[in-house]
Amino acid sequence: MKTYGSEPGAPEPVQVGISEFVVRGRDAEDTLKSYGLGSCLAVALWDPDSNIGGLAHVMLPDGDAADGADEKPGKYADTAIRAMLRRMVEKGAAYTSVEAKIAGGSDMFEFESFGDGVGQRNTVAAKDELDKLGVPIVAEDTGGTRGRTVEFDTSTGSLTVRTADGDHGVVEL
Amino acid sequence: MKLDIQALGTFYDMAQEGAGLAAGRLTRMTGVETRVGVTKLNFMRGSEIHKEFDDGTDKVGIRVALSGGVDGHSVIVFDRESALHVVSTLLDQAEGEEFDDMSRSAVTEVGQIMNAGFIDGWADVLETVIDVETPEFVEGRTADAFIGDLEEAPDEDDFALLFQSRIEAVDTEIEFRHYLFPDRESMADVLERHRDPNSVGIEYDKLAGFDEMAKQGAKEVASNITTMTGIETEIEIRRLNFASLEAIPEEIDDEMLVGVAHELDGKPSGYLLFLFDEGSAREVVEAMVPSPPDDEFGELGVSAIKELGNIMASGFIDGWANVLGTTIDHSPPEYIHDYGAAVIDPVVIQLGEDQEFAFVFDTVMRANDREFDCSIYAIPNQDDLERALNDLDVERVEDAETKTDVSLDELENA
Repeated sequence: MKTYGSEPGAPEPVQVGISEFVVRGRDAEDTLKSYGLGSCLAVALWDPDSNIGGLAHVMLPDGDAADGADEKPGKYADTAIRAMLRRMVEKGAAYTSVEAKIAGGSDMFEFESFGDGVGQRNTVAAKDELDKLGVPIVAEDTGGTRGRTVEFDTSTGSLTVRTADGDHGVVEL
Repeated sequence: MKLDIQALGTFYDMAQEGAGLAAGRLTRMTGVETRVGVTKLNFMRGSEIHKEFDDGTDKVGIRVALSGGVDGHSVIVFDRESALHVVSTLLDQAEGEEFDDMSRSAVTEVGQIMNAGFIDGWADVLETVIDVETPEFVEGRTADAFIGDLEEAPDEDDFALLFQSRIEAVDTEIEFRHYLFPDRESMADVLERHRDPNSVGIEYDKLAGFDEMAKQGAKEVASNITTMTGIETEIEIRRLNFASLEAIPEEIDDEMLVGVAHELDGKPSGYLLFLFDEGSAREVVEAMVPSPPDDEFGELGVSAIKELGNIMASGFIDGWANVLGTTIDHSPPEYIHDYGAAVIDPVVIQLGEDQEFAFVFDTVMRANDREFDCSIYAIPNQDDLERALNDLDVERVEDAETKTDVSLDELENA
């Protein structure tokens, strides 16, 4: 696995902020990173044949039911997944080989107004949309009560998940 | 003049569009890679603006007068160091100490190109034409040097609606701030044209209520922190921001934070968070637990922080309720120890089900004698806040203001 940041001249990871998604082509040298996901969800899509991949940092579950999803497709799980997949196919990915990894969607607060949990709603929405589109989920690290920082390497398809628990655990999906 | 969410949303789009164009032009001109950071609308009293300028550093600014679609002044303020750095990049020469004619004109040109970027962005959003006068180069340390002679700059107690944008240069130290001081009438015009005809809106003069809520809340918190921990704090920053929900977590430092979150129920409902960096949280635990444990964030530490959170929340919402004349309840504290953005995104997501933007009361308390920072984020439900403010009795605000000026000792001895 490549490590960035320690070697001089190595490219900094590209930040994928809330409601954004970024797609990288086959020759990308930089990784994609989303910091501090709480109930937000990171969706990484990857085509292993072409090494084309993308990372979305989604905030809300349902764009089809919301106004303004056209302007900000990356904000919602369903519209982000569709927009990212479309962009990947435009860059040369084969729809049928794309696979997904998801991380995040924690529920750290038990507030009355939160109902079943805002993080869980995002995870369920992403799974539903991926299922509808026939994109298999090959790995996931979702739920729980801790935040996560994720880094996606589109040259290998590896999604590194850091959790803010006592040991600052790292999982590679 | 009335504010409503839709019109403020238009202002927000202006600020964001402007920052994007300004960043792009800075990159084209200097070859420095840039990224647009957080964009916010701030409601600030003149006195707070002065405080922000008077940070003891030398600054240079490029200021232009606007007319047409928006009347007022647009000002780009660089740290002096950043400006000298930009000049050396641009002229491809060693960094100088002073501004000579050539470097002055280079920095003016950069500032002007950025101003023009912002202004073109606003004009696009407003679908209008904004005329720009010749830029002025300003150098100085205090607000007076930059805005002292502007008619539309607010007096001590008046509010200005500021557009605040951050553009970060990747791999280099360039920092600057951008301010738009719109002329009041011109702003009223724009607000009126972009209003949602079905919304009640908030009277501009009731902004004093906003500010008083923030002031009273913070004052109560400061006194509670002292009572509970013996740590004397003062209010370092007190701001009311209007921002898109997703900008809120982006602004929080990417470090581990410790704190408590509360759900508010009443008028207004919403969420209230108190956040400490790990060092400050350790100070809290050490001050509150008689024999501090080895692991400050173990059971004893967590319960100390929750207890302080509970007391601070009561104080804060008492301050609000005093100003608004309403009842607000808060839930028990939920403890968090996590990455910066992660602690606040659940709240932002929940509010995001019904609103796109939020008013954020953003306060930082700081101790003088040790490393102790506490950031307070209060994010009310937008409809509730609008209603509570509309019901606000301005005389009550004045009463509350008078009360604040009387010290606790005086009250106790009265």
